[in-house]
Amino acid sequence: MSEYINALMICLQPVNLLLIVAMVSLGIVFGAIPGLSATLGIALLLPVTFGLSTETSFVLLLAIWIGGVSGTFISAVLIGIPGSSSAIATCFDGFPMTKNGEAGKALGIGMTASFIGTVGSVVLATVLSPVIADFALHLGPWEYFSLCFCAITLVASLSKGNIFKGIMAAGIGLLMGCIGMDPINGATRFTFGNVYLTAGVSTVAQMLGMFAMCQIIRDSAKGEASMPDADVGKMKGLGVGFKDIIENIRTILFAFVSGVWIGFLPGMGSGISNMVAYGYAKSISKDPDSFGKGNPAGVWASEVANNASLGGALIPMMALGIPGDGITAMLIAGLTIHGLQAGPLFMTEQPDLAMLIFACVMVSAIITYIIQIVTKRWFPYILKVPYHYLYTVILVICYIGGYGISNTMFNIYVMLALCFLAIFMSMAALPTSPLVLAFILSSKLERYFRQGISYAHGSYAEFFTRPLSAALLVISVFCVVWPLYSEHRKKMAAAAPAVQSDVNDD
Amino acid sequence: MRRDTKTGIAGLIGCAFFLLASQSIKQPAKLLEPGPRLFPYVAVILIAMSSVALIIKGVKERKIEEKPYFPKGGILKISKSYLMLVAYAIAMTWLGFLITTPFATVAFIYDLKGNSRVKLVPSVIIAVLVTAGLYAMFVWGFQVKLPAGILFE
Repeated sequence: MSEYINALMICLQPVNLLLIVAMVSLGIVFGAIPGLSATLGIALLLPVTFGLSTETSFVLLLAIWIGGVSGTFISAVLIGIPGSSSAIATCFDGFPMTKNGEAGKALGIGMTASFIGTVGSVVLATVLSPVIADFALHLGPWEYFSLCFCAITLVASLSKGNIFKGIMAAGIGLLMGCIGMDPINGATRFTFGNVYLTAGVSTVAQMLGMFAMCQIIRDSAKGEASMPDADVGKMKGLGVGFKDIIENIRTILFAFVSGVWIGFLPGMGSGISNMVAYGYAKSISKDPDSFGKGNPAGVWASEVANNASLGGALIPMMALGIPGDGITAMLIAGLTIHGLQAGPLFMTEQPDLAMLIFACVMVSAIITYIIQIVTKRWFPYILKVPYHYLYTVILVICYIGGYGISNTMFNIYVMLALCFLAIFMSMAALPTSPLVLAFILSSKLERYFRQGISYAHGSYAEFFTRPLSAALLVISVFCVVWPLYSEHRKKMAAAAPAVQSDVNDD
Repeated sequence: MRRDTKTGIAGLIGCAFFLLASQSIKQPAKLLEPGPRLFPYVAVILIAMSSVALIIKGVKERKIEEKPYFPKGGILKISKSYLMLVAYAIAMTWLGFLITTPFATVAFIYDLKGNSRVKLVPSVIIAVLVTAGLYAMFVWGFQVKLPAGILFE
């Protein structure tokens, strides 16, 4: 408890508080503008943190994260385009509310629901993470390998469209992670005689090249860098009251629980939780037909759930060192830049810093809510920022970031190469999440696997005989087999009526 | 040829290259564990397997019409944008951040403008302000070094 209070005091220091306000505001802008995201914001900020203290760095990164995730509902409500996949379900009823002249209320619900989801889930993460970390200290390399393996297969299996694309992306991530020295013997791999590659591919260069640069030039080429005008009505006041919360309490509670749980599972972040919660809200509604036409419950469900996923994702990141999605992977990269390793040892050996992360998320959530209440009437103007100026500045910052990694031009060229790879991947519809997760986890995965075999004197049996490890491996196999099986069943079901009709025709 | 087939073929070519490169990884003798070659092999196998699956999928679905990924002229546009990024990197290597960035900024503004109308004078002013602002913020504010350029080092 004393560590948490100390951490809160650090967050409340004037300089840090000012930084949180600035970064949360920037995050809201990044979240609100479709195409930009909290992920991109963190990627751009990572190089800035090189010269800063660990505490200040985390204040910056976490504040932009919270602001960015919360801000996604703004464009979803005002123009019907979600700021990111986490606000897709918000569009379903948020935008119709705007069209019905209830933009102020829809925005008020979005702000309040985001606040409830974030604060509630962070409280839960603060309480649960140390307990899970204590338990995780008793795990061996076998369980850790299986956990990392399970995380990657889960993400790969959830890839939209085709599981093989997810596996391919994960394979590319693993291969990228192999570049440089191997984590056990120090043998160099795929460096092709280049000294700079000995340390491996920089995570920051990867994030900047594959997310920021690729996204900007791809959107421009696809002609997606323009937005419709927002049709806003009455914007004064918060727009919601305590009565609205009570009326939707069942929806809020379910959305919260499902959001935390889905956020906790690797690969199943806010992009899925908002849809699940929306579906539930519709199913329990007395008037399901009103959904999609401006029912406030739809916005409550989606926004509570996607923000609750944020706290859910913090638990495996802090307690186990396993990122649940691209954003937490970047936060782990941020810790690594400062020589820290997320996981159970981090929680027990550096509780001050661990608690700072939870406290900062809490303070950022409160400040996000206050800023949103104060600036609500100006939200439509955020969406009018000229893209070509904003994107240009972001591109230049990418170059600064790439150079700052090692004070050489080398990482800028790495960034450009990875941008090229990302363009190829998006044209081939290969998902980036499995690649990022596999890349971040590759060294851990390899280290734990090889250590596990070494400790067992060359035996592989421990992976299958230790209960937790075996259970995780079974889940991993299930994750790969199930989508293939269900796809096969769907095809069979689709083929069956065709056969039937042929018979009838005959 | 469908995109899945092309992706699969590119994947297999990549696999062949990395499989060949994996042979040069030094494998220490008498190890209790599989050694440093294992994971590259695993990654290559995963990519190869998926590539074959994608080729099969592409061939099976070859008669289904595929929507182009980019609108008309998109490939040319993205190639031009990418070449501009590369040119900026090369220019920065030789001339440094301060000289190249204003020119690159104007070029990026025009490249990314889409259907918006952009005037040269405001763009030049913005380019100079962005360069100066970012230089001040990173060099003086965050103590991050910026490239001086080979010609001026």
